[in-house]
Amino acid sequence: METLLKNVSSTAELLAVSARSGALEQWDGHALSRAFHWARYGEHLFRRFHSDPAVRTAMEKQLQLTNQSLRAALPGYTDVSFCDLSRCQHLLLVGLLNNPELPVSIMRILFGSGSPADTEHSEYVDVTGLCSHIIQCKSACKVLSPLADSSAVGADAEVQGAMLMERLGALMGRGREARRAEHFLDSLLQGCDGASEHFCLVIAAALLTAKNSAAEGAAQDVLQDWLQKTPGVLKLTCSALSASLLAGLAKEHRKFREAYCGVLKTWASDMEYSVHEGEWVQTSTKTCTVTFQKLTEHFLALFETCPTQRDDVERELNALKLSDGDFDVRGLSVWGDLLSALNT
Amino acid sequence: MSLLPPVIQLQQMTEEPSPNVQEIQFWLDKMVAWGRADSPNIQRDVSLHLRRLSSYLQQLLTHINNLISTTETMKRMPLLGQFLGRLCWIPYVTADDTSRGLLFQCLWGLYSEHPSNAVERKANQWIRKVLCQLTTDEDDAAAQALMKPMGVPPNEYHLKVLRKMVALLQENIGKSCSSLGNINQRCSCDSILAASEACVPLATCPEAAPLIDALLQRPATCVRAALSEDFLDALSCAYSRQNLSLEEQAVFSLWHHSLSSLEVAVLSLLESVCTNTGSTPQRMLQQVSQSLLPKACAQQCSIFLVVNDIFRSTLKQAEGNECVKSLIQIFTNCFLTELALLQPQKCVSLKAFFPQSPQSLLVPLSTLPSEMPQEAWEHHLNWLSGSLQRLTEDEEEGDGDGDSSSSTSRGHHRVFEAWFLLVQCAHWVQVTVQLLGTKGPEDCGPLLWLLTFYHHPTNRGHHRALQLVHAKDAWDRLHTLFSVSTSPPFDRLQSLVTLLSPQPQQPSLSPSFILGLSVNFAVFSQQPLSGSTQVLQTVVHRSGLVEEAACALSSLELRLNAGSCSSSDANRVHLRIKSLQNTLTHMHAAWSPAESQAHTLTHTHIKFN
Repeated sequence: METLLKNVSSTAELLAVSARSGALEQWDGHALSRAFHWARYGEHLFRRFHSDPAVRTAMEKQLQLTNQSLRAALPGYTDVSFCDLSRCQHLLLVGLLNNPELPVSIMRILFGSGSPADTEHSEYVDVTGLCSHIIQCKSACKVLSPLADSSAVGADAEVQGAMLMERLGALMGRGREARRAEHFLDSLLQGCDGASEHFCLVIAAALLTAKNSAAEGAAQDVLQDWLQKTPGVLKLTCSALSASLLAGLAKEHRKFREAYCGVLKTWASDMEYSVHEGEWVQTSTKTCTVTFQKLTEHFLALFETCPTQRDDVERELNALKLSDGDFDVRGLSVWGDLLSALNT
Repeated sequence: MSLLPPVIQLQQMTEEPSPNVQEIQFWLDKMVAWGRADSPNIQRDVSLHLRRLSSYLQQLLTHINNLISTTETMKRMPLLGQFLGRLCWIPYVTADDTSRGLLFQCLWGLYSEHPSNAVERKANQWIRKVLCQLTTDEDDAAAQALMKPMGVPPNEYHLKVLRKMVALLQENIGKSCSSLGNINQRCSCDSILAASEACVPLATCPEAAPLIDALLQRPATCVRAALSEDFLDALSCAYSRQNLSLEEQAVFSLWHHSLSSLEVAVLSLLESVCTNTGSTPQRMLQQVSQSLLPKACAQQCSIFLVVNDIFRSTLKQAEGNECVKSLIQIFTNCFLTELALLQPQKCVSLKAFFPQSPQSLLVPLSTLPSEMPQEAWEHHLNWLSGSLQRLTEDEEEGDGDGDSSSSTSRGHHRVFEAWFLLVQCAHWVQVTVQLLGTKGPEDCGPLLWLLTFYHHPTNRGHHRALQLVHAKDAWDRLHTLFSVSTSPPFDRLQSLVTLLSPQPQQPSLSPSFILGLSVNFAVFSQQPLSGSTQVLQTVVHRSGLVEEAACALSSLELRLNAGSCSSSDANRVHLRIKSLQNTLTHMHAAWSPAESQAHTLTHTHIKFN
């Protein structure tokens, strides 16, 4: 354990040196290769212990100490968190490339693309052309993205959704501890400040990933429970995503379907008839703006995707219409008008 | 480094052809357009121009490297910095291995190790900054905000997204055509052309390989499912540089779609086999099967026809080239083996593969000796010899009788095709030599005729009859040499050496004819090994054909190992080959082959006219 903690400290020190120190002038290909080797070890530590609370806490404490001393020694030092260990190689690379002292020979190795001139560095296979490959990969994504439109949520959200599922599964562990997963989702939501709609899309993508194991099913269950406990995100999800995508989710997940129908009914009950416009409109502008037509479309898409739902929903709407007095005159009951809109 | 005064250096440089100024403006405008929007038109333009852009970058690079300083370069080409800067942000350019590599090399060319003024210092800073941004800048902040707490590093994330996109596109392409032949209806095939164009810069990107595989292997069911020519060119180019990792079937599809890529593959096989003088039959076999061409030929008749056409014309240009002949034989052998491995329902009839060959000879020649009992070989060969003899006599009859030239050339054509088939199926020639080396002095006329025809297909100057007499004479002499149990007298050996040396006056027998016979006699005769070794060693050494003899031995070994010799004699033969090989290897090590007559053996040019 002691050795592990010492290594965690050394990893943080390496990142600090790479970004801020003039000592880099002395670096050669061998040093570069060793640095990346060490960074990979840091990533390994993260993967190995991120879901082990005891070790993780110890490592977090160790990092606090190391940060303190590094802050004192290096002006402008940025703290390294336990989570940062997962992206050690990236942080190392960012530090190196932004360090004006980085020897140009090192840059040549990193950007080498296997041309004859680079063969002299071929002993450092792991780092030769590292940046070149990263750039190729990012560029290839850009080249293909206009074509890869067959996914309902987009390739990027699909990947993020799958990663979310993986992470939730790991957090819950064998004991299926929902609490930790929910706590993690809360923290993600906080971090997504300003990009909440994107987060909703990723949640949808996570719910659409194939359930290959019981653990994944359990993770999707937790995700649905969390949505119900976080009405803001649920409402945003229902208004931001397309009707067909939501209907697809409703078809796959019972809990989501119930929550979704609940949101649709809330939208309807929040509407009042505007004589001026001759149409049902949302009363409170605080919630998202949903038109009567959009509401109808959501119900129709749901019926189309899950035909068995039609009877149940219509029965409920009829009951609500009854409670409104069961008039068949337009503009008196939102339920009555909704039913007639759904059946024309 | 240079001792020339700077003035002279400058003068020399002004004479350097510098890349056209107008051209950089042309490319600059293009980059502005490419950087502006993603539309199918841009993609098409990119796929069309990418190769030209690389060669322009290559020119620029040479130019930059020839100038003494960055200051100098900037003065000569003021637009260069702007141009390279724009290139960095065009994904089509940075996705393409070649262009990206050249772009980076140009940037490094502008980097001054010891900057001497503000311009150079600024250029250095700019290069560092641009490269850092290219590597670490993230377009999608929202995605990164999510990935960070999930412990997914950006590189891993991008790789996953790329693989996902490739998988989605691959799935889409795998869908069958939905228009059912209705030209006006939209169908999934519409995306094929666009996808293939997008893959032009991704030809060598390993992550895109599954998509490229899927594009190539898509059955051509719809008129709109055409692949972009530039895509095929890019793949062909990458494949010839061995920068491509495609599935076997995808490679076959590439050859099927692109004639030029097939030609390149065949020619490079020919070149790699025939320029390598030390090439053993084993090595040749390995190269042939690694080229995947025999397998592709067995699966797609159209590929075989093209490959065979290339072989045919190569053979016409150098009919006496033993190397080309061996390659064709080994290739055909591999092809026949692959063909036999195919399920019967997938197999096209042999006739379709050999439409120009004499049909009566096709099955008898393409049958492998191992597919026939050994006792039947002689009879089979006699029949083959007789048939070929009749064919040549029929065609050569009118020759020189003032017959119309068209019928003469048709006759030549038929003889050539018969001979070409014999070269392709030269396993029977090898069996002929083996039998000649084993047989006692019975009737070996037909076998000698077959062997003579193989080595001397044209009856130019009506020399065939005379050549046959020579052949019989040579065989008699060899037979005697390899029958006696005492050491042969010197003059007999010397006369054999003379036979092996090329003679200025026609008609003489090809040295490889005699060499093949000698080697087979040495291996198969009942003479004690020491005697045969001595004869072969002496003759081969004096005529400078050590390497060729070693080659003939390994070729023989290869054929026997392949299973066409399964007699009780096999073990004895095998031991004799090994021993002879050892002797020759030692000789080869001791003697420099510099003065050998190898070139006369491998480059005998006899032309069909």
